[in-house]
Amino acid sequence: MHALASNQALTLVDVWVSSPRRLEGVSLALVPGEVAGVVGPSGAGKSSLLEVAAGILIPSRGSAVVCGVPAGSRPARHLVGYAGRRAAFPAALTVRETLTSLARLHGGPRQTAMVERALELTGAGTLADVRAGRLAVADRRRIALTQAVLGGRRVVVLDELLSGLDPVARRDLRHPLGRIAAEGVAVLIAATDPSALEGLVARVFVLREGRIVRAGVLSGLLRDRILEVILDRPPAEPPPGFRITASGVETPLTGRTPEAALALCRAHRLAVRATRVRLKSLEEVVLDAHDGAR
Amino acid sequence: MHFLRCVLAEWGLIRPQVFRTRLGLWLLALGAALLWLGRSADPLTVALQAGAFGAVLAASTAGTATPSLFHPTTPLAVAVAQWLGAVVPATILTVLATLALGVSGQRFGAVVLAGVGAAVAVAGCALAIALLLGRTALVALFLCMAVAGAAPPEHFVAMAEPGGWRVIAASALELGPALWRYRDIAMGDAGALAHAAAWAALGIVVASGVLRRADARAGE
Repeated sequence: MHALASNQALTLVDVWVSSPRRLEGVSLALVPGEVAGVVGPSGAGKSSLLEVAAGILIPSRGSAVVCGVPAGSRPARHLVGYAGRRAAFPAALTVRETLTSLARLHGGPRQTAMVERALELTGAGTLADVRAGRLAVADRRRIALTQAVLGGRRVVVLDELLSGLDPVARRDLRHPLGRIAAEGVAVLIAATDPSALEGLVARVFVLREGRIVRAGVLSGLLRDRILEVILDRPPAEPPPGFRITASGVETPLTGRTPEAALALCRAHRLAVRATRVRLKSLEEVVLDAHDGAR
Repeated sequence: MHFLRCVLAEWGLIRPQVFRTRLGLWLLALGAALLWLGRSADPLTVALQAGAFGAVLAASTAGTATPSLFHPTTPLAVAVAQWLGAVVPATILTVLATLALGVSGQRFGAVVLAGVGAAVAVAGCALAIALLLGRTALVALFLCMAVAGAAPPEHFVAMAEPGGWRVIAASALELGPALWRYRDIAMGDAGALAHAAAWAALGIVVASGVLRRADARAGE
């Protein structure tokens, strides 16, 4: 990991934190333009990890580096943007006024252009003259994203940005995230609900009790196939390797064919109505990692 | 230079709230009430009350979470701007109340200076309380300023039980921001001015500490 650090947008090396949520030896690296997700149950340490990356939380051990500078330092604050779970904006100010004030902190002569660029990147132009106090939840998240990218940040850290939103609002927020990444900005986004990140992130880190218990490219993590067997009535006991679902049983097709798995069902005299093979969801990957780490 | 830029940027987030929220109306109502209640009172008392109570009210709006902490700023600059956000409206209220009472000439300057001194000190205290304990705790400060802070401590200490409590009560009344003390600013008392300045500095330092803790929590 140390050897990789120089070309990375964000590098966390052996990060330890003991409060408010534990992190135990977490290491990860993001390249410019990469969108990576952090998933795991509540209390797994996702927010702590993101706060360390943003320089808000100082690790007791290990290091967090943004584009070659230590996270939390003044130069790093120009480079990394953060949108927390409860982004608060002055209710009486319009979005443009808030962003203009924040742009002053970044200095430089082209603050108006900086604000317009951030609004354009996140598609928040129509909200520019709305007072923050009148924004709906989804719009507030978009503005949280806008302030995070303000000033040409190279890394954007987003805590639960897509959580609790309806599917349409989620989709509408995924588009600007794609645009931001296309500009070479590394995006690290956390979600308690893994389905929020499907179709968005290229790489996933599964966190449990402060440790990364599984990590990898999303397509690799989701390549496992599952055989779903819909039954006329629920079985008293599932065949070996199967688990009971709402409509029947299912089993991962690891090391066996669907035909072999079905033969096992028939051998157990299960009344099979229908079957289908599907890919494992990110939620199942998280659950597997969670249960497997027990 | 960077520090000033940060203060100005934060001030840009606070200033419009004075005019666009209910704070402006509350300050007007406070001013009207003070003028009505103090129509036969000494203008200096009204100016002190306008400065102190105005600062408590304004601090309830200024001393809040800010998005700028996730940008290249410093907690001290944010605290200074928030303190200004409490002092400036209170100063405007003090000046308007003094003008409304018909005070003029050299006396006007002395009365306003005392009112601003009270605003400066109370704003520091109120800002620290708002960030440490929440805005609701400002009600207690408001009542404290209105009752215990209005008269010298000897008036109240006698009411406390003898012993340790009396010492604590006397110390609190002596050290805390109080209208009776800042009254002496009008007479050019440097000690009263220093007391106000010390409360302002303490409030800003405590507020910046709270903001720093929120900004960069030590992972232990």
